[in-house]
Amino acid sequence: MEKQINMSDKPEILKLQSTANLRITMDDYFNRLKTAEETRNKKIAWCTSVGPAELLYSMGFEVYFPENHGAMLGASKTADKYIPTAVAHGFSPDICSYLTSDIGAFLQNETPLQKSGFKSIPTPDILVYNTNQCREVGDWFSYYARHFNVPVLEINTPLCINQLSSSIIHTVAEQFKEIIPELEKVATQKFDIDKFRDVIAKSHDGCVLWRKVLETAQNIPSPITFFDSAIHMGPIVVMRGTQYAIDYYTILLAELQDRIKNNISAIPNERFRIYWDGMPLWYKLSSNAKMFAALDTCIVASTYCNSWIFDDLDPSDPFESSALAYCKLFIVRADEEKEKVLTKLLSDFSIDGIIYHESKTCPRNSNNRYGLQNRLLEKTKIPFIEIHGDLNDSRCYSEEQSIISIETFIQQLSNSK
Amino acid sequence: MHRIGIDLGSSFTKGVLVNEQKEIVDYFVSRTGFDFNKASLKVIEHFSAQHEIEYPIYTCGYGREKLTVPLVSNSEIIALSKAVYDIYKKPCSVIDIGGQDTKFIKINSQGQVDKFKMNRKCAAGTGSFLEEIAFRLDISALEFNEFAEEASEEIRINSFCTVFAVSEIIGMIKNGSNMPGIVLGVYNSVIERSFELALVEDFLVVTGGIPDNHPIIIKLFKNKFNNTVSPAKSQFLAAYGCVLLNIK
Repeated sequence: MEKQINMSDKPEILKLQSTANLRITMDDYFNRLKTAEETRNKKIAWCTSVGPAELLYSMGFEVYFPENHGAMLGASKTADKYIPTAVAHGFSPDICSYLTSDIGAFLQNETPLQKSGFKSIPTPDILVYNTNQCREVGDWFSYYARHFNVPVLEINTPLCINQLSSSIIHTVAEQFKEIIPELEKVATQKFDIDKFRDVIAKSHDGCVLWRKVLETAQNIPSPITFFDSAIHMGPIVVMRGTQYAIDYYTILLAELQDRIKNNISAIPNERFRIYWDGMPLWYKLSSNAKMFAALDTCIVASTYCNSWIFDDLDPSDPFESSALAYCKLFIVRADEEKEKVLTKLLSDFSIDGIIYHESKTCPRNSNNRYGLQNRLLEKTKIPFIEIHGDLNDSRCYSEEQSIISIETFIQQLSNSK
Repeated sequence: MHRIGIDLGSSFTKGVLVNEQKEIVDYFVSRTGFDFNKASLKVIEHFSAQHEIEYPIYTCGYGREKLTVPLVSNSEIIALSKAVYDIYKKPCSVIDIGGQDTKFIKINSQGQVDKFKMNRKCAAGTGSFLEEIAFRLDISALEFNEFAEEASEEIRINSFCTVFAVSEIIGMIKNGSNMPGIVLGVYNSVIERSFELALVEDFLVVTGGIPDNHPIIIKLFKNKFNNTVSPAKSQFLAAYGCVLLNIK
């Protein structure tokens, strides 16, 4: 007789106490940006989420991350309201829905930041992007550079890197150096190598803490789920290189270690441990968290959250180590390297099954498009399913069909346990 | 005492009545509509008019959580696999073509699901693709089937999109193409989408409302993969599997 899964009993998910600190940390970050916007006491730089944030913080900028804003639009379930506006202005519905929802919201003069007292999104003095994720960030930032008539700088990183050669790292490191004179023209202070080293050291320390936070999920049962991590990653994205991120992750890590010590699990009855590949479905974060908990399933690791571990950063060699860290990033690598990373993660986190989210508008963050999923199955024998959706555009997601797939997958895993 | 299995499909609700020897003694199917509870109660009322029913009801499919009767809920993929393996008792691939889903299932030698895959988020390759085209051309399922039987040559349909496929067909008709060839192209389009889901190996079982109501499609499947079968009344297999999963 098959084991049955009863979806009608919805278990309570234990909330992290640190969430209150997270809220304060993020509010303070946005307040600093708001002060800079209102008083112009500091210059504002926009940066891609895996761009050279350390360089910008070291030169006294307040740093704003449009991708973080895109995720806010997704999580607040407002992206669908804005995407059609961007599409009507000539952006394809098939390109990055962070971009289309962000630009659509801008065109409608709306932002979730208005709830925090912003009139609009912070006005940039300069924009800096790194193509290590995708080419779309260039088009996205260039749109705003044209609109605000401010400079936009590019770090051009090769994609699909297999062998991370010293020439690639050196080329990227040189680009980091080359943008400094342009940044100095806008910044209120000159570049200072010691300040840069200090920010790099802080970024390193913050990343190490973030890695340790994620690694607590190696414990069985896990004290944290992917759905927690997707929210609690905010500081490592937007405050990387600051003491604020270090302070926050010190608190979060202590809570998770305390959970492990007291055998407290993130979901009440962890039976299955899943790896999530690809972007979150931001608009379904909460309902998916409940669904997986009801299936006694903890998503313990993910490509997405693990992407913000830049522990190669080294203050003794800040440029080369920055280049190394930002080229070593999962999304920049060729499938062969990705397979190695995934194989290790599957083992380290005792994974029972993998869910590949093929995101309609984020092909670079969808790793099931070139057969990797089948090669990994052959190698690890860990089963997988693919679900089709999108990070922000909920119109691309068929919920009922996905639920059937996920429930069946968990039953499939239960039969093999 | 008899047990009831219900598969609440997007288009049709299928019910089976199973006796203590685990044999199906009656079938019932009706349109699901918008009231899942009502659709299920209709099945239960039909069977309980002549037989004593043992609760809970064994269910799978969309909206089953909304039912007001005592029930045991199952994955339709697991249930279908159970019923298919119960018939053939050997490893096989299953392609199930329903109203809005087409599913590929690989069943191993223990009768368990090794892997499965569903169609992507559109109607290409599902029953809705056929239904919509038939509706727009004002052709019944029976006529659709007969047209394909008459076809000497397939006229290939390119469009993935159901709506654009109709536009494409209208263009073909305008240009003098024959209906049998077009209809054969429509069926083969569904089959091609099914084979895209995963690699079919060894032995293929085709199930669902589409092969039941469009038997020509089984012949066409055989043209692509010779070792294909389709059990009678295959659209009821998931409902039957729900019962099999839960009784010893």
